[in-house]
Amino acid sequence: MKKFISLFIVLALLLCSAAALADDPEPGLLRTAILYDIRTMDVAKTTDDYLIPMNVFDRLFETRPAKNSSDVVKSLVTDFSVSEDGLTYSFTLREGIVFSNGSALTASDVQYTFERLLKIADQNTEIPLEVVGGEAVMKKEADTLAGFKVTDDTHFSITLTAPNAGFPAELSSPAMSIVDAETTSKAAAFGTEPADTIGSGPYIVTEWISGDHYTLVYNEKYWGTAPSVKKLIVKTIPDANTQNSMFLSGELDIIDLKNQDVAIVESTYKNNPDVQMVNTPNVGLTYLLMNENQKYLKDPKVRKAIGMAINVDEIIQGIFRGNAQKENGIIPTGVWAHSDDMKGFTYDLEGAKALLKEAGYAEGEVTFELSMNSTKASDNVKLVYSYISSQLKKIGITANIVSYEDSAWANKRNSGEMESFVASWGMDYNDPANIMYTFFGSAENTKMRSLNYPDASIIARVSAARAIVDDAQREAEYKALDKKLIEEDAAWIPMYTELHLWGLGKRVASFTPQWAGFTDFYAADVTLK
Amino acid sequence: MLRTLAHRALQAIIVLIGVVLLIFVMLRIVPGNPVETMMGEHANPETIARMTKEMGLDQPLLTQFFQYISSAVRGDFGTSYSLGKPVSQLIGNAFVNTVILAVFAALFAWIFGIACGIISAVKKNRLTDRIFMGVSLLGISLPVFMSAMFLQYIFAFKLHWLPISGTESWTGFILPAIALGWNSAGQVAQMTRTTLLETLQEDYIDTAKAKGRGPTGVLLRHALRNAMLPVLTMMTIQFSGLLSGAVITETVFSINGVGRLMVQAISGRDIPLLQATALLATAVVIFGNLLADSLYSVLDPRIRKEG
Repeated sequence: MKKFISLFIVLALLLCSAAALADDPEPGLLRTAILYDIRTMDVAKTTDDYLIPMNVFDRLFETRPAKNSSDVVKSLVTDFSVSEDGLTYSFTLREGIVFSNGSALTASDVQYTFERLLKIADQNTEIPLEVVGGEAVMKKEADTLAGFKVTDDTHFSITLTAPNAGFPAELSSPAMSIVDAETTSKAAAFGTEPADTIGSGPYIVTEWISGDHYTLVYNEKYWGTAPSVKKLIVKTIPDANTQNSMFLSGELDIIDLKNQDVAIVESTYKNNPDVQMVNTPNVGLTYLLMNENQKYLKDPKVRKAIGMAINVDEIIQGIFRGNAQKENGIIPTGVWAHSDDMKGFTYDLEGAKALLKEAGYAEGEVTFELSMNSTKASDNVKLVYSYISSQLKKIGITANIVSYEDSAWANKRNSGEMESFVASWGMDYNDPANIMYTFFGSAENTKMRSLNYPDASIIARVSAARAIVDDAQREAEYKALDKKLIEEDAAWIPMYTELHLWGLGKRVASFTPQWAGFTDFYAADVTLK
Repeated sequence: MLRTLAHRALQAIIVLIGVVLLIFVMLRIVPGNPVETMMGEHANPETIARMTKEMGLDQPLLTQFFQYISSAVRGDFGTSYSLGKPVSQLIGNAFVNTVILAVFAALFAWIFGIACGIISAVKKNRLTDRIFMGVSLLGISLPVFMSAMFLQYIFAFKLHWLPISGTESWTGFILPAIALGWNSAGQVAQMTRTTLLETLQEDYIDTAKAKGRGPTGVLLRHALRNAMLPVLTMMTIQFSGLLSGAVITETVFSINGVGRLMVQAISGRDIPLLQATALLATAVVIFGNLLADSLYSVLDPRIRKEG
């Protein structure tokens, strides 16, 4: 029996000593992690999975961070002009750009990119739909865009159905990543195979193992400055605690702290001499939406009272430990038409009660459903829901939190029948139309996205604001619309935007997060030691 | 015996067909449009209608079922809505990882479970017995995520002996296998101890001793052989359970296995993926039970005769 026990102990030791000590990572390698695997590498089929499009493809313009805001800079174009009526844009492409497979990037590839988005008609169709003939291509009534004229390999023009001063900014969105027409048209399932994912950007996708990881390596044919990161491995680590352990033990070089519990960030990352913290406002905002067809919520006084009962500063300090900033309007801080004069709603419980009384509602009379997407809401957002519900109770309003799983949520939300919910929007590019037009620019958008905001004259003004060519006039109009929608109509209760925190490991010298509201980043913006 | 086995195999196939039908119908009658979930908030109603048609979800339920069955028997389970890849390819890749994890976990559970059970039975009511039974009880009662995090912290984070997550090398499977197998090991240890102690009371053990067999010979050749029958059945059922996917272990250790794939399919209302993963899990459990029955028949002559 003693032999048996000895064998047992030896086996246990053998298992433990099967040590797989990690080798030092190769120079130029950057390792990071995501919670959920990407669905596709094709922007025609996603509005979420942008890391590969951002790093593998180029766009005509790029949005780059600037002090407290961002600039739209030329990328694949070297020059452009706009016709006097604001309808036609003429572009000159940079000479000598090649895709990673060696074929030249020409104006025809740009045209193919626009038309492909419309023909697939899945995601990101809004921008090419602005081009004359876009509707016909999407409905399969035409094969090519009437408003897209290719002069030669490096010259082309785009005519829009209506003037849009924010068009160059829109073209910097990852949605408008330029693909290689020849490779893409021949691919059986573009967006699923690394070999077909050919772009002209700084990286090439070399592998994508579903549910495990994907790898990008430096594109030797890239036209721009060579990045410090020569290889990027993005691992799918679905457990935030595991991500945390991997980063702290040196298995990851950069960690997106958005997925971590605030308490862990406070206790483990801040004041940790081995971790360099980088933060950037997540350009966008989180807000409370209220259905204007609902019995009580259709009354602007009720909506204003709700706004007055929510102490956003308390949410920021209590739930986010200060890692968020207050937003008072629809156009978030950092977007060029943002107004610092917006006051939003001042926290005043007594004032809120008085407003409800003035509107003729007895205490406890106002009641509505506060719907929550239980699949996607983060722990912090769930706390925000509880906070709102408890605050409203203080002024005699019952907001019943009801949880829905993702598909039931999508169904109810799209029907425009959801009574109220907390939503977030991250800016895709630096133009106020990206948020204003999306939420208030058409009756259809407004039904689902802004829960039946009823004022047709304001919807028409929001739509028309895109066409104002004069920047100053346009800015003034957007600021006026913001004031009207929030301070007069209480169409939304704007609350806060979270700070996007990143932890950098010992191998990383610096990192500049991209400007927009989505979480993906440019690997070229990381400098390794 | 062959007739019994054939009868049970037929039962298993009928149950499997029933499960296919049940899964198919249930996924289509629950509220929520899978196309809307897949397309996200940016899709307009026209696009949703077009995609619903393209995916055949506007067809009558019966037509959809026969289309599904005719494709499935050819090994075509469709394309995943949420991952955009053929379901058979996704499941193939994930199942390999699940099988490796299950084999490692089962080996750990069986070797350590049986060893602990034997030692505890031999050292009944002594300190060694109490320690081993304590560790077994801990394995049974500790939630998998707790043991996973505990093992990760000690052996990967603090000692750096093993990787925290990932399956780049076989060493990546050690910690998840222990975390997953600990519970089974505890059950095996407790059952081995109990049945072995019962068997050691039997008359034929005294006969073996009287014939001059040494203690090890009596234990291993006479007692253990008979004591292992119920343990073996339990081990087979455990293994089929391990093969059907270990969601928590796969999530904590970032193993791309069937369990994780199933969770992904549920949250994304990914009907083709969900149907296939559920079918696989069911098939593994049904055939695992069939195997357990068959093994029991082979090992126990009484059952063989009854058959």
